[in-house]
Amino acid sequence: MSTDVTIILTAGLVATATGLIGPFLVLRRVALVGDAVSHAVLPGIVMVYLLFQTRAPLAVVVGASLFAVVCVLSIDALKATGLVKSDAAIGLVFPLLFSLGVLGITRYASGIHLDLDSTIYGEIAFAPFRTVSIGGFEIARSIVQLACVSVFNLALITLLWKEIKATTFDPDFSRTIGIRPALLSRLLLIAVAITAVIAFESVGAILVVTMIIVPAATAYLLTDRLWVMVALTVSIGWVSALAGHTGASAIDASIAGAMGLAAACGFALVLLASPRYGLLARAVQRARRRRAIASALESAAPARPVA
Amino acid sequence: MDHLIELIPLPYTDAVVALGAAILGITAGVLGAFAVLRGRSLVGDALAHSALPGVAIAFIVTGAKDTGSLLVGAGVAGIVAALLMVGIEQTSRIRPDAAIGVVLSSFFSLGIVLLTYIADLNNASQAGLDTYLFGQAAGLLERDVALMGALSLASLVVVAVLFRPFKVTLFDPSFASSVGLRVRVLEITMTTLIVVAVIVGVRAVGAILMVALLIAPTVAARQLTGRLGRMLVLAGVIGAAVGVSGALVSMRAEVPTGPVIVLVAFGTVLLCLLLAPGRGVLWRAGKLRRDRRRARNEGVLVDLDTAVHAGPPPTERELAQLSGRPRREILRGLRDLHRTGMLERDGDRIFLSGAGAGAAHGVHERRHLWTLWLEHGAELDLPDAREPDPHDLRASLGDEHTERLFALGTWRPPSP
Repeated sequence: MSTDVTIILTAGLVATATGLIGPFLVLRRVALVGDAVSHAVLPGIVMVYLLFQTRAPLAVVVGASLFAVVCVLSIDALKATGLVKSDAAIGLVFPLLFSLGVLGITRYASGIHLDLDSTIYGEIAFAPFRTVSIGGFEIARSIVQLACVSVFNLALITLLWKEIKATTFDPDFSRTIGIRPALLSRLLLIAVAITAVIAFESVGAILVVTMIIVPAATAYLLTDRLWVMVALTVSIGWVSALAGHTGASAIDASIAGAMGLAAACGFALVLLASPRYGLLARAVQRARRRRAIASALESAAPARPVA
Repeated sequence: MDHLIELIPLPYTDAVVALGAAILGITAGVLGAFAVLRGRSLVGDALAHSALPGVAIAFIVTGAKDTGSLLVGAGVAGIVAALLMVGIEQTSRIRPDAAIGVVLSSFFSLGIVLLTYIADLNNASQAGLDTYLFGQAAGLLERDVALMGALSLASLVVVAVLFRPFKVTLFDPSFASSVGLRVRVLEITMTTLIVVAVIVGVRAVGAILMVALLIAPTVAARQLTGRLGRMLVLAGVIGAAVGVSGALVSMRAEVPTGPVIVLVAFGTVLLCLLLAPGRGVLWRAGKLRRDRRRARNEGVLVDLDTAVHAGPPPTERELAQLSGRPRREILRGLRDLHRTGMLERDGDRIFLSGAGAGAAHGVHERRHLWTLWLEHGAELDLPDAREPDPHDLRASLGDEHTERLFALGTWRPPSP
């Protein structure tokens, strides 16, 4: 497999894995949970280093996943008190975990170089060079991992489609028909945490955070149907990956950054030109309405005496 | 500034840091409220990330790693990002959190692309640019603290002057625009103030930790009061207390300031969430327990009263059979009633004491009154529309209305 194809496949699989869950996060107003997780994994890495004196990828991923799950469950618990809104809960929890990590490093590991960039955040450009051999085929490790996560997420949302849909749009209604919104919310958040950590390890944090939020937000501007939104999210993710890769090789820039920028450009385009919710469409609507009101007033005016 | 620092009974460097932390806490506490109450708590996070392209562009333009120009770059990028965020949120159906996320990831991606461009320039001084604003508290200098003080004083004055318009815009933007307030200008002012707060804090505690410092004081203060004015003051006080105590602890323990301040802030929030009167989790749990217990005791009392009137004083077993409550509940109720002197025992037979009979009568009367209220409440023509407290109808209706309810409740022969 050529390097370019591997990179595009890796990014596309990140887009798939995150795009299957991203729409629900955007609809549930916890879009930034991915960013929270990207910072909250620091204490996990410190803990693994302190306990086992290692920076081996597997151990690091396990430690990071542990704290990613701690992070999302704490956010969920704070939200469940009913006293804190979800955005504030996110903003309270991840700095706390990050602080614990920083304190752990300065206190016990100040001698060694221990940070997120050198331990868990991978770089998509190196993805083709880390391979495993499956049945005689050399295949990039990140592709295998991300394919597994994508399949898992796909299974999750297809098996629990009805439940996730109901709890996303109307938690009270779903409670009355016997679905537990708290449980579903936790399940979804844990899935995001694990997906994010595994994806961080392959392609770095910012691409994952971007792929969780931006394609889903773009799709939200295009449709009102949930399954269409999920499908659009994944497709937009793939297109961004492809366009970003092309752009990056044209100007020799960071691949992850270029893919993020491509997704951002897509969002900007849709924000302007979406047929129903775009700024242009709404401006046209407003103008039309204004004209209609003006002409209605005009035709009604002669009947009324002018004061 | 010198006089202020001399007033603090600490060594010079400690005093500077403590003063800086106090200023930071007040500013973040007060200004953070405007982010948190609009559901934009994570605006600090977006600003922190959007600093990267700002720093990169400033570096490309000046070609040197000069603190002043980099900070200006970060500030300008922050304001652009904040305005984009508010713009996306207000002109489209995208909610605040997703708008913040989109801006955050777009700006950071742009920053990374710019960094690779800078790396190609082979300028030796570019190393460490990406962590430039994300580092943790460098030692605060007196000059920094003076600048922070000036910025935060200015923004607090703006908040004080525009308090009422801000309040209306915060809670009801459509009403605000209908009474002729310039909502868009106010929103932009508010957002700019938050950017100022983040810039004030970013050098002192680092960008990521600034996120928590914007949120924590407001969340804590919100548990303690429901009024905006009081909440802003309280958030400022809590922010200052958290900042100073965190700074002092970190100096004693010789660990970085920012993380300790965040730990203290989170602890404060947790304490308020658990214990705040009327709202706190433990407070509510305690109240629920007391209410359940009172309801159980009253129920057992009424059951006993009924049993005593119907026949000979019952035993515990008979009472349990009669009332249909679980035996454990009866036993606990009887224990509580016995402790408060409501009942007397003769062997295993149970009587009501004088106080107990009075209390049972009181419960009967209250229940009767509630029934009457449900049936005839509408005929009272109360002067205000508030629902009375069902636990103490007599006190909330007043004696006069209570007597009228009783009068309405007595059966009258239909008039011919």
